[in-house]
Amino acid sequence: MNRQVLIKAENLTFKYGTEPPVLRNISLEIARGECVAVIGQNGAGKTTLAKHFNGMLKPVSGKVYVGGRDTERLKVSVLARTVGYVFQNPDHQIFHDTVGKEVAFGLKNFDLPGKVIEERVTAALETVGLTAHHATYPFNLSKGQRQRVALASVLAMQTEVIVLDEPTTGQDYRESMQIMNLVKKLNQNGHTVIFITHDMALVAEFAQRAIVLCNGEILADGGVRSIFSRPELLKETFLKPPQITALAQSLNRYAIPPDVLKVKEMYELLKARGEEIGCFS
Amino acid sequence: MAALVEYIHEDSPVHRLNALTKIFWALFTLGFGLLFNDYRYLLALLASVLLVAASARVLQSLLPVISGLTVFAMILFLIQALFYNQGQVLFYLIPGVDRVPVTVQGLLSGLAMAARMMTIILSFLVFLTATRTQDIVLTLVEKFKIPYDYAFMFLTALRFIPSFLNEVKMVSDAQQARGHSIGGINPFKKIKSYAPVTIPLVLLSINKAENIAMAMETRGYCGGNRTCLRDTRMGRTDYLLTAALILLLASSATARAAGYGVM
Repeated sequence: MNRQVLIKAENLTFKYGTEPPVLRNISLEIARGECVAVIGQNGAGKTTLAKHFNGMLKPVSGKVYVGGRDTERLKVSVLARTVGYVFQNPDHQIFHDTVGKEVAFGLKNFDLPGKVIEERVTAALETVGLTAHHATYPFNLSKGQRQRVALASVLAMQTEVIVLDEPTTGQDYRESMQIMNLVKKLNQNGHTVIFITHDMALVAEFAQRAIVLCNGEILADGGVRSIFSRPELLKETFLKPPQITALAQSLNRYAIPPDVLKVKEMYELLKARGEEIGCFS
Repeated sequence: MAALVEYIHEDSPVHRLNALTKIFWALFTLGFGLLFNDYRYLLALLASVLLVAASARVLQSLLPVISGLTVFAMILFLIQALFYNQGQVLFYLIPGVDRVPVTVQGLLSGLAMAARMMTIILSFLVFLTATRTQDIVLTLVEKFKIPYDYAFMFLTALRFIPSFLNEVKMVSDAQQARGHSIGGINPFKKIKSYAPVTIPLVLLSINKAENIAMAMETRGYCGGNRTCLRDTRMGRTDYLLTAALILLLASSATARAAGYGVM
């Protein structure tokens, strides 16, 4: 398949006022259909980087292109048609008196016909599991549910790229898995997904590529498997590989490869190894 | 914008002064600025305020404010120049029919007004940026006998401004990311287009106020007698400076009464 670059940053540097730069010399390309995790310790610049992808922040020097267009002179509300952005705090956006209206807001801004809006709202609420709350007052929902309202409001816009800033904070395990499975499904349907997270297990499970940020610079950028097999690199930005990968790494001398990402994978490996040395009969 | 009235931590001679002395200084500037209307006096006063700002090492951070104030000062100057029509005429804005005269006195009084406005605002900004807010509140309570609850309200309100501005940015970003754009030429539409930003802001602020109140109560905030950990006593420099400022203000009042510094 032809690799089509959707987001491209060239020597992107960003700083607030006269303070030292938050991002330094970031160059990267994100192609259509990728599922990318942005990881790094607090204050590494993850959110700042993500906010450049829909033009909320403009680089102090360097360039950012979205779909081939320089973001410098484009309004956020225009870029919103290409890049959807789900914020950490849903309360920064919710202002309607029903969940349904809240989800429809973005679509109304795009001047879509009423019928299409209705369909998309219903579909988006169904995907986040809030169909029953179509007419509920958003502030009667729990914070986790409100977060899913915010997610639905971006999903409904059906943008090519979706950026999620810590989509699973405030969700319990089951809810996080629901959200991430949804993200996975979006990705399979052809959306390009970029998500920020602190949960390495989610990265291992759902992302194909990880961008590791450390003090405003890209420490590593590559396949999740190859990044997690280098624990010394992760240590630099105070990250740890997921537990199953750490286990695999400590079992290295029993011929277990250091880049195991999933429990199931580990199980298969151990089983094969067991059969090899005649443990299972 | 967010850093406008925030305390800037520095170890400067101005920072080391007692809050009360700095209040006196700001009041002195206010008094002096209102006493005279000679542009030379007011420009000298403006220079002195800038000097204090520089020695407090807050001049750099106040630069954006100063440039903003300059715009207002220019407007003031222009208005004064256009509408003050007594005195020696320099030229007419509409030359043929000799209408809208611009006079020397008009220009000078415009200059004086602009300088006065900048001086008074800047002196309070320097005071606010060079004094810990806690010290201001403590001084208000200890020296001016203002009830603690009111002083605390003042402190919280000040603290609210930067975080509020921050939230304005977050909310408008969030709405723009959903394709919302503020603006248009139609004023009614424009007002309506602010709703998606103002509603979350109001809700967030109410929520925050409630949270602050609860957090304060859980940490034992209540009325009644309070004792202070920090010392609000004045040092020798403070007494000397205050005395000097009072003396200076008294003598300038006398000078003003004798007719100096008036145009």
